[in-house]
Amino acid sequence: MNLSPDQVIMFQIWDIPINATIFYTWIVMAVLSVGAILITRNLRPDVPPNRWRTTLEVIVQGIQGQIEEVAGRPNRQLLYYAGTLFLFVAMSNLMLVIPGFEPPTASLSTTTALALSVLIAVPLFGITSRGLGGYLKTYIQPSFIMLPFNIISEFSRGISLAIRLYGNIMSGAVIAAILLSVAPFFFPVVMDVLGLLTGMIQAYIFAILATVYISSATAPPPQSQPERDIT
Amino acid sequence: MSIDWITVAAQIANFLVLVWLLKRFLYRPILDGIDAREAEIKERMQEAVDAKEQAQAVEQSYHEKAQALNVAQADLTETIRKTAEEQRNVLLAEAQQKMERDHAIWQAHLDDEARKYTAKMHRAGAEALLALTRKALLDLADETLEGRMGHHLAGKITAMEPELRRAAGQAAEAVVTSHEDLPATVQKDLTRDLRAVFPQIAVRFESDDTQAPGLVVRMGGAQVAWTVESYIDELDALIEGQLALGSDTQGHQNVR
Repeated sequence: MNLSPDQVIMFQIWDIPINATIFYTWIVMAVLSVGAILITRNLRPDVPPNRWRTTLEVIVQGIQGQIEEVAGRPNRQLLYYAGTLFLFVAMSNLMLVIPGFEPPTASLSTTTALALSVLIAVPLFGITSRGLGGYLKTYIQPSFIMLPFNIISEFSRGISLAIRLYGNIMSGAVIAAILLSVAPFFFPVVMDVLGLLTGMIQAYIFAILATVYISSATAPPPQSQPERDIT
Repeated sequence: MSIDWITVAAQIANFLVLVWLLKRFLYRPILDGIDAREAEIKERMQEAVDAKEQAQAVEQSYHEKAQALNVAQADLTETIRKTAEEQRNVLLAEAQQKMERDHAIWQAHLDDEARKYTAKMHRAGAEALLALTRKALLDLADETLEGRMGHHLAGKITAMEPELRRAAGQAAEAVVTSHEDLPATVQKDLTRDLRAVFPQIAVRFESDDTQAPGLVVRMGGAQVAWTVESYIDELDALIEGQLALGSDTQGHQNVR
């Protein structure tokens, strides 16, 4: 049983092997991009919104609302990042129902890549928001002794994200494969339904966790309350 | 199960490309559309608020204009009323003055008519009195009125001789004036009677229509006269007394 799509070579471009993970990632990217282009191509203020545009607006505004709820303020850059994270993972997991489609999130390489991107995005957003000095100060909070622990926490956060996503998606795929061999006509359907549900939950959790991490890095430093004269 | 780091790098690149693609083709159009729609809604709401404020301002202006119009109308009504009252007073005063003028003219006309009537009655009375007296004298005494007037005047001249001489002074002529020409016999008798008192006096007879019937003798500053004027006056007083008595009697009868 081949558990990783990284080892499946789909084709080669200029002698560069393209494995299934990258191939299916491109499919997901194409679906998302082409869908977005098709829906938003006639998007003008004077044209009344159709149902697809309204659906996209609901999704985007839902993501924006979640980010605003977590971060406490609207953040367009974070929306682009976390929203893409959510849509990519969700679309990958939703396309699990297509026969023969291997979700790229079932590859540890993909989840590691996403976790690494979060790991890189956290300091980038933090530096953009607070400045380099302000961000580095957070590693010695509340004291200098906490520096190694904060660094370990930062890395373990990314690793946990990667393992969490991979484990959930991969476990679903593995269980579905096992049950397919046991009861090929009944369990796969149930497992696919559960896979869709867990996939959406994982997409939501992954995006929310990334948002929480980035928001904690970009949050303004707590202001000390001014002392009041009590007379 | 292992991590293919080339795939990891490719997936990171793919993910970044996907972020750019979705930012370009999904988020920005959608968010810009939402922003544009929100801006449009905000603009329309602002326009609605502006229109409402404008309508309220217009309504306020209308109420103020209506109030000002009511005040102006009240002022105009009051002004018109005062003007009409003043014009009425002026017209009444003019009418009063015209009426007083007309009344004065009418009164003057009435007085003139009364005066003319009185004069006419006076003359008629005098003529009637003279005619009656002349007829009575002719019937009862076979004498003329002019003869009796001359005789009476001669008697008065004889009785008043001293006063007449003082008043006449050195007058050499006596002028006898009558309403009508005197008969020759009367002129002769009167000349004789005057020369009996004033022997050297020249006597000249004249007639004057404006003089009351009778005789007037003038000698220098002296004058002796007998006319029916006093009799006419007494006749007028008697007639007026009788008329007054008649009107009182008629008034008493009307009261009863």
